[in-house]
Amino acid sequence: MSDVGSSCAVGRRQVVWSTAGLLTSLASSALLSAEDSVVGGMPGGPHFGNARAKNVIFLMMEGGPSHLDTFDPKPELSRRHLQQFVRSGREKSAMEAGQRYYVRSPFRFRRVGQSGADMSENWRYLAGVADELCFFRGCTVDSVNHPTAMYQMNCGNRFGGDPGLGAWICYGLGSLNQNLPGFIVLPEVSYPQGGAANWGNGFLPPQYQGTPLRARGSAIPDLHPPRGVTRLEQRKNLDLLARLNQEHADRNPGNSELQARMAGYELAFRMQAEVPELLDLSGETRQVLAQYGVGEQPTDAFGRKCLVARRLVEQGVRFVQLYSGSWDSHDYIERAHGNLIEATDRPIAGLIADLRQRGLLDSTLVVWCGEFGRTPDNGVRQGTAYGRDHNPNAMTIWLAGGGCRAGSTIGATDELGMEAVECRAHVRDLHVTLLRLLGLDDSRLTYYHAGRYKQLSQFGGKVIEPLLG
Amino acid sequence: MGGLPEMVLTGLLLWTAVQAPVSADQNRTELLFVRRIAPLLAAKCLPCHGSDRREGGLDLRTQQSATAGGDSGLPLMLPADVEQSPLLLAVLRQSSDWSAMPPNEGDRLTEQQVGWVRAWLAGGAAWPSADRQREIAMTHAAAWNAEDGVQVATSGGLSADWTARRYVPESLWALQPVRRPVLQDSSEHPIDRLLTLHCPPELPSAAATDVCTFLRRATYDLTGLPPAPEEADEFVAACGGADSIALESDRGRVAISGLIERLLSSPHYGERMAQHWLDVVRYADSSGFANDYERGNAWRYRDYVVRAFNSDKPWNQFVMEQLAGDELDPGNAENLIAAGFLRMGPWELTGMEVEKVARQRFLDDVVNSVGESFLSQSLQCARCHDHKFDPVPTRDYYSIQAVFATTQISERAAPFLPVERTADFEERQLLEERQAEYVQVLQTLDELLLRNAVQWYQQRGQDAGLWLSVVAEVRQDGQVQSGRVGAASRKSADVYSRVRKLMGERGVPEDQYPPKLVGFTPAEFGLERVARKGLERLKWEFDRYEPFALSVYSGATREFRTVNAPVRLPVDPLSPGAVEETCILTGGDPFAAGERVRPGVLSAVSRGADAAISEAVFGRRLAFARWVASADNPLTTRSIVNRLWGWHFGRAIAANPNNFGSTGGRPVHPELLDWLAAELVDSGWSVKSLHRQIMSSRAYRRSSRPADAGLVARLDPELRYLSCFPARRLTAEELRDSMLSVSGELNLQVGGIPNRPELHAEVALQPRQVMGSFAAAWVPNPLPAQRHRRSLYALRLRGLPDPSLEVFNLPTPDFSCERRDSSTVTPQVFVQFNSQNSWSRSLAMASRVLRETTTEEAAMDRCFRLVFGRPAAAAELRLCLQHWHEQVAVQGEAVFSTAVAPQEVIRDAVEENTGERFQFTEKLYGMDRFVPDLRAEDCDARTRALADVCLVLLNSNEFVYVQ
Repeated sequence: MSDVGSSCAVGRRQVVWSTAGLLTSLASSALLSAEDSVVGGMPGGPHFGNARAKNVIFLMMEGGPSHLDTFDPKPELSRRHLQQFVRSGREKSAMEAGQRYYVRSPFRFRRVGQSGADMSENWRYLAGVADELCFFRGCTVDSVNHPTAMYQMNCGNRFGGDPGLGAWICYGLGSLNQNLPGFIVLPEVSYPQGGAANWGNGFLPPQYQGTPLRARGSAIPDLHPPRGVTRLEQRKNLDLLARLNQEHADRNPGNSELQARMAGYELAFRMQAEVPELLDLSGETRQVLAQYGVGEQPTDAFGRKCLVARRLVEQGVRFVQLYSGSWDSHDYIERAHGNLIEATDRPIAGLIADLRQRGLLDSTLVVWCGEFGRTPDNGVRQGTAYGRDHNPNAMTIWLAGGGCRAGSTIGATDELGMEAVECRAHVRDLHVTLLRLLGLDDSRLTYYHAGRYKQLSQFGGKVIEPLLG
Repeated sequence: MGGLPEMVLTGLLLWTAVQAPVSADQNRTELLFVRRIAPLLAAKCLPCHGSDRREGGLDLRTQQSATAGGDSGLPLMLPADVEQSPLLLAVLRQSSDWSAMPPNEGDRLTEQQVGWVRAWLAGGAAWPSADRQREIAMTHAAAWNAEDGVQVATSGGLSADWTARRYVPESLWALQPVRRPVLQDSSEHPIDRLLTLHCPPELPSAAATDVCTFLRRATYDLTGLPPAPEEADEFVAACGGADSIALESDRGRVAISGLIERLLSSPHYGERMAQHWLDVVRYADSSGFANDYERGNAWRYRDYVVRAFNSDKPWNQFVMEQLAGDELDPGNAENLIAAGFLRMGPWELTGMEVEKVARQRFLDDVVNSVGESFLSQSLQCARCHDHKFDPVPTRDYYSIQAVFATTQISERAAPFLPVERTADFEERQLLEERQAEYVQVLQTLDELLLRNAVQWYQQRGQDAGLWLSVVAEVRQDGQVQSGRVGAASRKSADVYSRVRKLMGERGVPEDQYPPKLVGFTPAEFGLERVARKGLERLKWEFDRYEPFALSVYSGATREFRTVNAPVRLPVDPLSPGAVEETCILTGGDPFAAGERVRPGVLSAVSRGADAAISEAVFGRRLAFARWVASADNPLTTRSIVNRLWGWHFGRAIAANPNNFGSTGGRPVHPELLDWLAAELVDSGWSVKSLHRQIMSSRAYRRSSRPADAGLVARLDPELRYLSCFPARRLTAEELRDSMLSVSGELNLQVGGIPNRPELHAEVALQPRQVMGSFAAAWVPNPLPAQRHRRSLYALRLRGLPDPSLEVFNLPTPDFSCERRDSSTVTPQVFVQFNSQNSWSRSLAMASRVLRETTTEEAAMDRCFRLVFGRPAAAAELRLCLQHWHEQVAVQGEAVFSTAVAPQEVIRDAVEENTGERFQFTEKLYGMDRFVPDLRAEDCDARTRALADVCLVLLNSNEFVYVQ
């Protein structure tokens, strides 16, 4: 089998996670091209030559974090706290309609950094990197339901089934490291609402599918054979398989698919050893671990994800998406959001500081968002502690690195935080903007499917210029 | 046009200069404008630079405004300097000064269109007045028609321009009546004769394949299963040999004919065809989205499809039943089940969605699905605007939608039919056990709340007297009720909330009695929610065993806040609710109703004749179904025969079976397609007769090895001419079913409630978020025979696809799948080579083969015959026997530990209300009865070593590909 690489130049390109096999070690085996060269992507490179971002770390706060209790203070709400009113109309869902009351934020706010960014006090660590952040308060979406809003934020299309942002970016920019998937997802133990379709390849070829590295158990199911099967046993089986397949291929010359399948087995065998190393944090210094909050509660889980994300980006993975779940605080916003901020604040701040220190922040676009924002008011839920419902018309997202306008706050919501009123832009424009930061033009990043050229923004959108640095 | 750079001013002067003389050139340019440029502007530019939008300040509706230019103030047309004209630079998409236009790459102008722009600019960019434009158009209509294509009579577009647009005649092929080709030579099979019509003459055909390969091909094509070794022996004997000569002999022909009949009469034929059809209609056993509720009765539709194919139900009848079975004969349960077709799309209504929007989603889904499935015409393009390429006006879209405006979802009563398999219903007990647990949890928590309430009063130093008296009152009432309806009633679990409600009703201010869920810890919040939502989900699952059909009825549209339980047929279908009136929705927006429309059909096909359908509440769909299923509807007949061809050869005659429009592939063999369509109707719409025709052709017998690989690669790289048979990878389901078949474990029982095979253990227990809670874990059926049914029967949850099938291109049930992909990606190796499933099959196969044979040679030969459908060659036998022997030594050292199947799973969750982590234990009902498959530790080293060989064979290309 040692000559399998040279005998299947055609097939090799098809046996992919990206466009050729998987492993770092393979790069030196002359089977694959050098790591730093780009394979695939738009012919002629990115559409715009001046983009700084090459990778994305996408921090997805699933459930809909409240802009009103994190980055968009509304003093007026304190004045109206518990004032009641009725909302009705055929265009309202059951959740939005009926008896409502206003809810003030339980958190105190302050201005941080040179830029004076608004942050609630519980962001203790993030405040330290505030000047790297670019807040955007103008984003709106179409759906108030979790899975459809998640699909829209992740894939552009509310109804699911379209390629994820990471898939589009890998399709557009190609692979920096052919030995790893270009689009990796670090989900919670439980997948978000809408499931794996949030990182699907849709109609793009399957190598662009997001590969989840599971939070518990084996990172990739069946990466290893069942217990009791030795590496020797497996190696010998592979050798027999190679011989049978070779004889079969000799009887069926010219079929590159057969060759591709044969090469895949060798690549997979080597991956078994290599993937676990990527996730092994034992080589990181104690200082770095502490920076991310690894080994401490409640930051350990998300801290690990942030640190793994940095390691993956260092390896040339294009798009890493991290999930933090349960931001859907219909009740008890103080406890619920308070706990979630505490669990993610230090890891996120650590990630940004670490990227900056390693010179990676400029080429890595960090995105923080949920699928929608939350309402300034709540339904009467037989009153206990106060929470908020879903709000598609106002939210805060922020960017860092990757050529965004650091140290700024763009757009604004009304005095209650119900609607974006300044620099208001649909999520499709955000997508177009993210692509632009990566040097991609949404209207040219298209794929022919079911009778038309499809694109991430669905039908086109506009760059939100103020977000660009 | 954007960009707006510094531009040469001289152009403006030159532009003015050429205004004066009227010449022959000017006349030609005017004609060019009317014929080409004006339509181009309308289609490509005006949407953003016209009426209500003026991007970059540019308005292209008149010569004056176009000449004025956009924000740059520069004219777009520079006839004296054509190549520097901003208009040309924008459409050429190469300029650094002017943005590429239209911005979307998919809308870019063709070379021919760019040529028109150039010629128009060079000719002086004439822009005749509106009157003059009309005059020119009228004068030249006849001549241009002949040259530019034809107009199509439709119900009319939203604009006169669209209505008057022209189509290249070839792009309208599917709308033309089916014409049966006249065949002179009767000695050649019509299919082979028609295939040669467009085949390059220098392309040589491959020889016939050998007998065993043909058997494997035919058996997989019609049943999705491998042939048994005994069937191979019989077929070789019937052909009088195993080589291609025997296959082509007279005996061979007779044997083939017998084989086709045997396969067509197999009950597994219907299963295989059903798989194809369910791909098209997006079958799943759950509703998708946030709740992903089970569709407990969906399996009855799946079995209906299997029955329809097995009984060779005439295709037109099959179509009508699925579109309007309930209107055809609601007294026949079969028809109610058939109408489940209309329910196949993902759909739900939660309290978070606006009801009208959700209803519109259902209607949009049905309209497009009907178009794609039966008419091979994607209709959704016409939802927001007249179709950009095909003669499908938006009016048609909403006319068809009006057909379904009285269609209402319902899980309605439909008695089980004698042909339906109603066995295994005793598994219901597992759900009842789970239900009892949820009720128990809620009761315990209810008691806890009542205790917490007393504490709440104590802490505030208030008297709990009134509260306690109401508690006693409610309890008293509860005892009366539970005495009536049984002990496990929900009633007994919500004393606390009923007490609160009564307190409120009796005028006690809300802050004077305990709040909802008082004193709960995060874990208690979580447990309450899991139990409450669990009970809600069970309502859908229990429907599996009940005589209800996932179906529809015709009636008024009721108003729902949410749909969180099966919807039963209302007593009066017209009340409550209102009969919907259908209007054209501007831009597809449910709140932007425009002109009213009547129910109708695709007007380009009906040619206006029978377009109107009665507006009565009942019967609209039936009338529409009759139109679809008419022998004169060229879309319907071509659609199914085109699909059927694709199911045999891996590529349909028209490349996109869901899209016969101009963006789909045109038929490579149009005469053949029409011949098949005509045959279908002439045979009484018999699908089986088409299989007989196709499979008796020479094309179907060809070897997959090309006669001249170089020529094929050059002249027919996609094998559209079928000069050799296109080899194909087994589908995900065929792979799984085949492995179970060769291991001897496959349970061939047809039909019935879905089963639950073992998923990858970690995936099965992976927590799955649904709205506000977790779905119950995937618990496999207790017995191996229950688990080892064909993949068609595996419970298909939208939110939990089996990753081992998905990686082999199992399509998502969110979109109609017109053709299975077969990509090669590395993770397939993990599934096929590493998974417990593959090892279990290999072990079972080794054990089976050792039971069935007496010598090592015979055992190994049998492995080959089972997996490849052919005997082992001598060299292969030697090689594999040697491997077996060597692996016995390796296996001798292996140590296996019994993995005990878990009885419960501990869930870590973040509680939604508080953001605090909490744990709960989910009991896996049925796992106490779980009987595992054959395990490594139950086998000796010799069996395990033979299993190594089996695993290799099951991973080999020869197994994975059908040739």
